[in-house]
Amino acid sequence: MKLDLADPTWQIDLPRHRSVAGDAPVAGCAFSRDGTVAAFALGDGAVRFLPADLSAAVPAGAAPVHKGAVLALAADPAGTGFVSGGDDGRLLRLALDGSVSEVANQKGKWIEHIATHRATGTVAASAGKMALVAKDGEVREFGPHQSTVADLDFSKDGGRLACAHYGGVTVWSIGQVTLPPRRFAWAGSHVAMKWSPDGKFIATGTQENDIHVWRVAQAADMRMQGYPAKVRSLSWSADARWLYTSAQPVFTAWSFAGKGPEGKPPLQFGQEGAGLITVVAAHPTAEFVLGGYDTGEVQLGDIKSRRSIVIRIADGSPITGLAWAPDGFRLALGNERGDLVVIDLRR
Amino acid sequence: MATPQTSAQVPVTVLTGYLGAGKTTLLNRILSEQHGKKYAVIVNEFGELGVDNDLVVNADEEVFEMNNGCICCTVRGDLIRIIEGLMKRKDKFDGILVETTGLADPGPVAQTFFTDEEVKARTRLDAIVTVVDAKHFLGQLEQGDEAEEQVAFADVILLNKTDLVSPEELKKVEDRIRSINPYARLHRTEKSKVELDAILDKGAFDLNRILEFEPDFLEHGHDHDHEDEVTSLSITADRPVDPDKFQKWMGAVLQIKGPDIFRSKGILAIDGAPRRYVYQGVHMMMDADWGQPWKEGEPRTSKLVFIGRNLDGDNLERGFQDCLK
Repeated sequence: MKLDLADPTWQIDLPRHRSVAGDAPVAGCAFSRDGTVAAFALGDGAVRFLPADLSAAVPAGAAPVHKGAVLALAADPAGTGFVSGGDDGRLLRLALDGSVSEVANQKGKWIEHIATHRATGTVAASAGKMALVAKDGEVREFGPHQSTVADLDFSKDGGRLACAHYGGVTVWSIGQVTLPPRRFAWAGSHVAMKWSPDGKFIATGTQENDIHVWRVAQAADMRMQGYPAKVRSLSWSADARWLYTSAQPVFTAWSFAGKGPEGKPPLQFGQEGAGLITVVAAHPTAEFVLGGYDTGEVQLGDIKSRRSIVIRIADGSPITGLAWAPDGFRLALGNERGDLVVIDLRR
Repeated sequence: MATPQTSAQVPVTVLTGYLGAGKTTLLNRILSEQHGKKYAVIVNEFGELGVDNDLVVNADEEVFEMNNGCICCTVRGDLIRIIEGLMKRKDKFDGILVETTGLADPGPVAQTFFTDEEVKARTRLDAIVTVVDAKHFLGQLEQGDEAEEQVAFADVILLNKTDLVSPEELKKVEDRIRSINPYARLHRTEKSKVELDAILDKGAFDLNRILEFEPDFLEHGHDHDHEDEVTSLSITADRPVDPDKFQKWMGAVLQIKGPDIFRSKGILAIDGAPRRYVYQGVHMMMDADWGQPWKEGEPRTSKLVFIGRNLDGDNLERGFQDCLK
């Protein structure tokens, strides 16, 4: 089966989906490594699981695992479940059977961001000005950084960890060989960051509604302006050719093929939404991309045909989480109101 | 730009004051009193508060400069982050209190609420409350600019520890406070004891309520001891204001004097406009909008207020007069 946006039936029917009321704002969502379970981080401290299979029974509501709100969630790269971070300062490992184990506890700090590296089974989390790196039952700390860590991400091979903070990005070597950290400087506050899947570029969204991109090898940098709001969501296409960005009413992709994006406008495509995109998520393998809007609308875009279709109608509640299942056909999304949604794109 | 649909904006109270003035006592009071309301409190020293409350959040005062070439445009990035994080919680609150460290300049806190669109969509700056130590204030003025600037920024002042000074000393301190900022509401307190409605939900930054913030006292002749001292200044005019000239002049004033102007507000009778034009600002940042209509027969008097350092009254007065029809 293929995703074909030119197929006329796509233009008419919304895909099959299941929506469950989560009762609290969604901070993010993710699929488990095997793709069988979608998990949603909630503002009441719970992480709610829904089966990826729309015909399977929905388990009862989940008890809070964090005191306060869950702020970060990712698939556990070293297990079948998930890892979560909360404003109670705890980094937790959540098994699919509901059992919980504590990876780290930093009382008084918020665990706001989590990055994972699948091949090495490593989890990184921000805790105030420090970055925590957990692997094989051991937790190491990197920092302190100039300010609270605003986002983090692994290099392609998992040997380095990039941390965004005021004034730029610091890249730590976290593997066997310990090298001094590298600094990529740009003044101001950086609010989101993603390392390209080919390892060549690090992109950030800034407080000043720009994006900033460094070439890792040369430490040369570029700045892209013209957004009406902060770019809080960045997503690289699987082949590292495109950097998708939020904060526009249509899909906006910067080309990193060939000479890169310098001096060229971004490619913009798809149907113009009534609001701005809040979350973008590139497809895990193919040329598709998901965009969730501050109106609640969700579109599926195809950069090859430059088309998009609406897969969820605007309902007024901003999309706050959007994730592809590893199979590339299912997706999970959550919004500010607390709707937990699993969609199956297969017809 | 479409701002996210949110419920009513949460009021934010900034609590400032010199080391030992009584901020922590006040916060403890707010958190422990039975008022049926829920406040999130953003503090600097975790654990100083005696109250165990999961709505107490620890912050490092992380200030950054905006990349817009404006030297006084500094913003608290940690506040942006924390407010966004608090909004992810299921439990909502009636207000947020932000405590600054004793030596902090309240400017960056206030400016955060002028610059960040997402913060503006979810919260509104309600008032800056400054706790002043009646016994040590005059001495603190000698030690640096902080104590003076904290009073200059204030919408509400708690003149605290009044039980530790004589009536004469108290009068002297109060006069000094008034010479810096005659517009703030002043409450004399012991052990930070004050009715909460005296400090919360004041709407001091609400453009529709600017009229309520008239000076408590008639202004008296300011005794200028030092050249660089902080004072206030008000200018009035009965002739209508030319909006283009005013915008140009005000822009220039803020461009040059912005770092020295802590607070400014004004009500303008724009030539030919049926409604008041109201504005208020912190340093170079400003909010403005049309306010209440003028009533029939009401004198259309424009009024500008500045609180700042090295204010050149004659120059400002002349500049404003040139903006009149």
